[in-house]
Amino acid sequence: MQANSRQFRINATAALHQPNLQAALKQLELGFVAGRARCYEELPEFEALRDRARDLLNHTLDNLDAYLLEYEARVIESGGQVHWAANPEAAREIVLEICRHAEAKSIIRGKSMIGEEIGINDALEAAGFEVTETDLGEYILQLAKEPPSHIVAPAIHKTKDEISDLFFDKHRDLGYDQRLTERSELVAEARQVLREKFLAADVGMTGANFLIAETGSNVIVTNEGNGDLSSTLPRVQIVTAAIDKVVPTLEDASMLLRLLGRSATGQEITAYTTFTTGPRRQTDADGPGEYHVVLIDNHRSEMLASELRPMLRCIRCGACMNHCPVYGRVGGHSYGWVYPGPMGSVLTPIMLGLDEAAHLPNACTLNGRCETVCPVKIPLPDLLRSLRSRQHRQRLNSSSARWALGAWAWVARRPRLYQFLTALTMPLLARLGRRRGSFSSLPLAGGWTRVRDLPAPQGATFQAQWQKRRGRP
Amino acid sequence: MTAAREQILARIRAANGGAADPGVARERIGRHARQIEPAFDDDLASRFCRKLEAAAATVARLGSRAEVVAEVTAYLDTAGLEHSLVSSAEAMLQTLEWPASFEVEARVPSGADRVGITSAMCAIADTGTVMLTSGAGQPTSLNFLPDYHIVVLSKAQLLPRMEDAWDHLRKLQKEMPRTVNFISGPSKTADVEQTVEYGAHGPRCLHVILVD
Repeated sequence: MQANSRQFRINATAALHQPNLQAALKQLELGFVAGRARCYEELPEFEALRDRARDLLNHTLDNLDAYLLEYEARVIESGGQVHWAANPEAAREIVLEICRHAEAKSIIRGKSMIGEEIGINDALEAAGFEVTETDLGEYILQLAKEPPSHIVAPAIHKTKDEISDLFFDKHRDLGYDQRLTERSELVAEARQVLREKFLAADVGMTGANFLIAETGSNVIVTNEGNGDLSSTLPRVQIVTAAIDKVVPTLEDASMLLRLLGRSATGQEITAYTTFTTGPRRQTDADGPGEYHVVLIDNHRSEMLASELRPMLRCIRCGACMNHCPVYGRVGGHSYGWVYPGPMGSVLTPIMLGLDEAAHLPNACTLNGRCETVCPVKIPLPDLLRSLRSRQHRQRLNSSSARWALGAWAWVARRPRLYQFLTALTMPLLARLGRRRGSFSSLPLAGGWTRVRDLPAPQGATFQAQWQKRRGRP
Repeated sequence: MTAAREQILARIRAANGGAADPGVARERIGRHARQIEPAFDDDLASRFCRKLEAAAATVARLGSRAEVVAEVTAYLDTAGLEHSLVSSAEAMLQTLEWPASFEVEARVPSGADRVGITSAMCAIADTGTVMLTSGAGQPTSLNFLPDYHIVVLSKAQLLPRMEDAWDHLRKLQKEMPRTVNFISGPSKTADVEQTVEYGAHGPRCLHVILVD
């Protein structure tokens, strides 16, 4: 997909004025956020699991080459094929070649974020293949020609009315001539349309929630069962997965699954959790005859070598965006590419380039909620801060921001001067703002006061009060 | 292609300050170390049923295997379904004696079959989950294509957690089956306005028959 992360400010401003989007984002708070909170309450081991998951994934990353080689060997033993791709172009070419070799016409896809990351649908369609997304949310977006706005609930921004119009418009050619208004009818019609696609497809593509080094399996978690039909019915299966998806054993995956569903949607377990290993066996009654895995790097080995390494623990639950006050107002499309929210603000600058996504690390209040809820304890605010400092070092921020930061840093490194200046300004501002309690405009602070008031200081500075109370509350 | 493989592995090794010792990974894998397993103190059968029902599956508990056919008949009649089943070929189902009104075929289902009936390798009380594996006479599509999925299992097949299911599987077969399905309710979606609807792509209804 065409990235427009450069437009973050424009996108975000537009999003704030879309009532449908705002209602959907509000609902997210009631659904996913409340669901996770309930799961957290009900599982006393939750914190211990987070620590253990972090340690397990750190161990896996420390030995990543060895685990990938074990995984590869097991896939080959089970009759599957492993392909390695350093970048999205290479990954797309491998997938196209498998499809051409299989003389495929139609391809069905289970939802996967890496598929979006490498832009596989556009490539397949450009090469003349018929591609159908089968996750209901992704299918809706494919019809609407829109990118996902959430990594777990991709069509969260669409209303029922919009979906009704969309199905009425796009399904008419298939003989469905009623505009449906009930949710259940919409789901049933999509089921019918997609059932035909499932039964006719030559190739099924899925991502992987995890890869298991012990067995060479890929793990898929869904509620709809679309990933399973995609893995089972076509004669060829292609799994696209990033190199950071591998975990050592089935037991390790079981632990991570306990965190994944709870953190993502507030489910102890999804309706379907499936471990797939190689192509169908001789005695099997069904299943694809060919099984391919495409292992994709795309800047991950680069992250492994940098301070952003903890990001490779991410299990793509979406809790960080569900709990992010910025995402909660501006929605996923504002971020302008595949991954939104805090995790996207770390990944997008790495995958597209820091200058392409310069706004994203700054679209954060550093409130820390994302880190608090992350099931694998990724220090997202630290990573965003470090991207900001990269921006500063690479001179990617505006000259006025650089000047202001430079001036502040100069003063802040001189504590006496700093205290003198603040002791001078705070009482002045306090006196000026005493009547209203806040300012509706201030010189140099227009960016703030244009859309909200700045509360007036109470009088003495924090440091002065601290001195006076000597640390007593 | 091999070039990409070598390049990626080299980058990983450079990032990690050298190649990892394959012995460490193999030892870690071979241990099948269990991680943290949440405690629960209710008995397996009641927890299993409670969790499944919370996920919108239906559960029937029977005193003996002799009652299974009557239970299936009642279930089909209540749902207004014909006495026509596509079955997997597990021993537990082969011994059931279906009345003459029934048409029961052990085969791969088509898109038109309404009801599938299977057993399971085992079931997990922790999350209210049945574990099904692919193999001879056990097509995976039977767990997903029909609108109704009936699962018959005995209480002795209940295990506490997913980790116990892995041990059980390792004991029974040396190789990983092509497919291992953990099923914890009927198919559902919340992709239209974050409201749950059942029967997205897989079975609209999951009915579990638990025999003492």
